Amino acid sequence: MKKNSILFSGLVVIFIFSTLALQAEKLVSYKTHFKFYSHTSVEDIEANNYAAVGTIDPESGVVVFSVPMQGFEFEKALMQKHFNSGNFLNTKKFPKAKLKAQITNLNEIDFTKDGIYPAMVEGDLTIKGVSQKIKEKGTVTVKGNQVTVDSKFNLTLVDYGISFVKGKPSTNVAKTVEVTVKAEY
Amino acid sequence: MNPKKKKIIKIAAILIVVGLLTGGGVMLYLFNMPHRNVQETSTDYSLSSTELVVEYLKSSDAADEKYLAEDGDSKVLEITGTVKKISEDFKGQKVILLQNKSDEAGVRCAFTTDTNPHVTSVKMGEIHTIKGVIRSGVSFDPDLELYENAILEKCDLIK
Repeated sequence: MKKNSILFSGLVVIFIFSTLALQAEKLVSYKTHFKFYSHTSVEDIEANNYAAVGTIDPESGVVVFSVPMQGFEFEKALMQKHFNSGNFLNTKKFPKAKLKAQITNLNEIDFTKDGIYPAMVEGDLTIKGVSQKIKEKGTVTVKGNQVTVDSKFNLTLVDYGISFVKGKPSTNVAKTVEVTVKAEY
Repeated sequence: MNPKKKKIIKIAAILIVVGLLTGGGVMLYLFNMPHRNVQETSTDYSLSSTELVVEYLKSSDAADEKYLAEDGDSKVLEITGTVKKISEDFKGQKVILLQNKSDEAGVRCAFTTDTNPHVTSVKMGEIHTIKGVIRSGVSFDPDLELYENAILEKCDLIK
């Protein structure tokens, strides 16, 4: 009886460790770069963020990014204040943006073999509490133990409830901004 | 025109010019307003990394309300904790993770190109106090399946 319970606890320990080992395979990135770029005839505006966290599950192909919105830095302080404010991104109420997507061509990507793989992702992007479906392209680069993800896509601000009817932002901020993503896992 | 009327017009003209100059000056100042210098801003709260983590895990809404500002110039904190990790971000800024043993998460402190050299002397496992502006708090993210650290930027070591 005692032998059995020892055997049982042994199995439980093995089970816990094996699940932990499986979870550990998920790739985590704390080194990221998100860039917004807006172009109009009046001016070009750029904002950079280096504080997002991302994960990729090579088994399921699920890609997640969580972006702290107050981490976006603009050249001009006033633009940064506008960006954070209630009528733009309301970052006090919605401190994080989230991307949760699925790599749809996972069978074409080998995370264990060096190479540059084009990736297709489909999922949801949530900004300011508004979720929209996205379907974008990216690149997965595998080199040694290092996995890097790159992507560039366009965002239409009004889709996320961000619009300007009058004033400087309505003429100086593009309706569609370009987002560049880079993450090292 | 009588001299009285002339005088009134003259004063009005001067007032308009002064008004325009002041208005224009204010606009120009606002447009080119420099970023807040976090290190020269007085500290709003001093606490340990554990205290901040516990406060956020208890209620992230209440903590966001307390620490985050609507215009992005959020609270300036001095956080004391154990150095768990030293790394660098894509901007070349040094990043120190302050996290005490047995805490679910920590405080990720990003330095600047100016304060980077101060990190050279920092070693893993040491206890340090770091001052910076909070950008976001601690929370468990079910999609990432991990605890997100609080984010502090524009950091420097406090002697």
